[in-house]
Amino acid sequence: MAVIDVKNFAKSFDGKPVHKNVSFQVKEGECLGLLGGSGVGKSVVLRSLIGLEKPDSGEIFIEGEEISNFSEHQLIPIRTKVAYVFQNGALFDSMSVFENLAYPLREHTKLNESEIKNRIHEQLTEFGLEDAEFKSPSQLSGGMQKRVGLARSIIIRPKVVLYDEPTAGLDPYNTVKIQEMILRMKDKGVTSVFVTHDMPSAFNVCDRMVLLLNGAVAAEGTVEELNKDPDGLLQRFVRGERA
Amino acid sequence: MNSYLSFLQVFGGASLLLYQSFHESFRRPLYFKLILEQIYMVGVKSLPLVLITALSTGMVMALQFGLGLEKFGGKLYVPKIVSLSIIREMGPVFTSLMLAARVGAGITSEIGSMMVTQQIDAIRALGTSPIKKIVIPRILACLIALPLLCAFANAIGVYGGMYVGYNDLGLDPQFYMQKVFQTITLADYMSGFGKTFFFALFIAVISCYFGLNIKGGTKGVGTATTKSVVTASIFILVGDYFLTKFFWIIEQWLS
Repeated sequence: MAVIDVKNFAKSFDGKPVHKNVSFQVKEGECLGLLGGSGVGKSVVLRSLIGLEKPDSGEIFIEGEEISNFSEHQLIPIRTKVAYVFQNGALFDSMSVFENLAYPLREHTKLNESEIKNRIHEQLTEFGLEDAEFKSPSQLSGGMQKRVGLARSIIIRPKVVLYDEPTAGLDPYNTVKIQEMILRMKDKGVTSVFVTHDMPSAFNVCDRMVLLLNGAVAAEGTVEELNKDPDGLLQRFVRGERA
Repeated sequence: MNSYLSFLQVFGGASLLLYQSFHESFRRPLYFKLILEQIYMVGVKSLPLVLITALSTGMVMALQFGLGLEKFGGKLYVPKIVSLSIIREMGPVFTSLMLAARVGAGITSEIGSMMVTQQIDAIRALGTSPIKKIVIPRILACLIALPLLCAFANAIGVYGGMYVGYNDLGLDPQFYMQKVFQTITLADYMSGFGKTFFFALFIAVISCYFGLNIKGGTKGVGTATTKSVVTASIFILVGDYFLTKFFWIIEQWLS
């Protein structure tokens, strides 16, 4: 059974349709790359997968549960198993890095304060952020903010992670670091959807890719399939040719 | 027509936010630490501004009435007029307007910045509710802090009047306070004090509404903050008329 199943997703903003009919599936443990030009609405689809946006029509199934009409209260259990990694980290700037990471643990686990402290230390060490524990988000570089954002999203060990351009604007070192973290999550069996314009990263971490064009899925395939068809729509997009 | 529709949009949106907040306040958990933090931000930090406003209002009113009434030999009515005006109207309204400016602007710009930087989305994405985390603590803090601030403002305003009465009008402080206590009834006090609960709701709900409905990035934060203060002030001033009438009907009914 697919962990994520999007059927006939449609969404418009101010009367202008962005998505007309988007359908795709993500299997358990798979990493799906969601590609497309700027403004095609990749992030809108991603946000809809945890109910941050509501589709105008269509259905979104998370582990077989149709969530598109869920209330905010009903979405809470979905959001504890599906994590969202924001493009710029979206860290709470009134809290330290430690407090940011403690936030989901205090909300959704029964861990006591010393267990929370241990879990945060463990996570920060894994992400190479030991020195950032008591810093505020404004004292961190863009790359560190993204890594802390990623660490906060996965600290409660979700089953699914949605990445919204996690490597955008990063230097090669931080890009590789983020890729390594995503691959580590994949090794643990976490299902993921990866929205990006960063093609090398997409090819490194994704099992399958979907290309969005004109409000629908224009091409879909595994990385091997894509590499076999150099004249395919997705390959042309990757090469920077107009699809 | 456009401004009429905008007003309806704000009124409807703010009412819906109030309903959601009321509804969610019965669901656990309730974040007491956040409520206490907000009481500190809204109440304790606004105290100097509110006290200065109340003191100067009381002093200026006593001076104006004193100098004006002196010509007709009515200086002795200053304690009655000043205290009644402060307790029934000036204390609650000026305190609320000050709070709308200081706290309302702060709430809208803070929530607006959180919207722009996706922190509100992050609260939702992490399986928590922005209504519970952001809106309810601010509403409760305003509901608790504003009436208390008003009580302080009333006392300081009356004191300001007495100070000017003694120094500039030659009125004996004991006589002044005696007249104040003879004049002010519990109904007078409660009609002014009771309004502050409504004003607190206007300030908190409207400023949260504008913060949560930011459009247009950082520029939108500035625009929304201005709109929030203006709208809350209008609601306080217009609402004051209807609330005065409402409390007057209650007074009539009880007496």
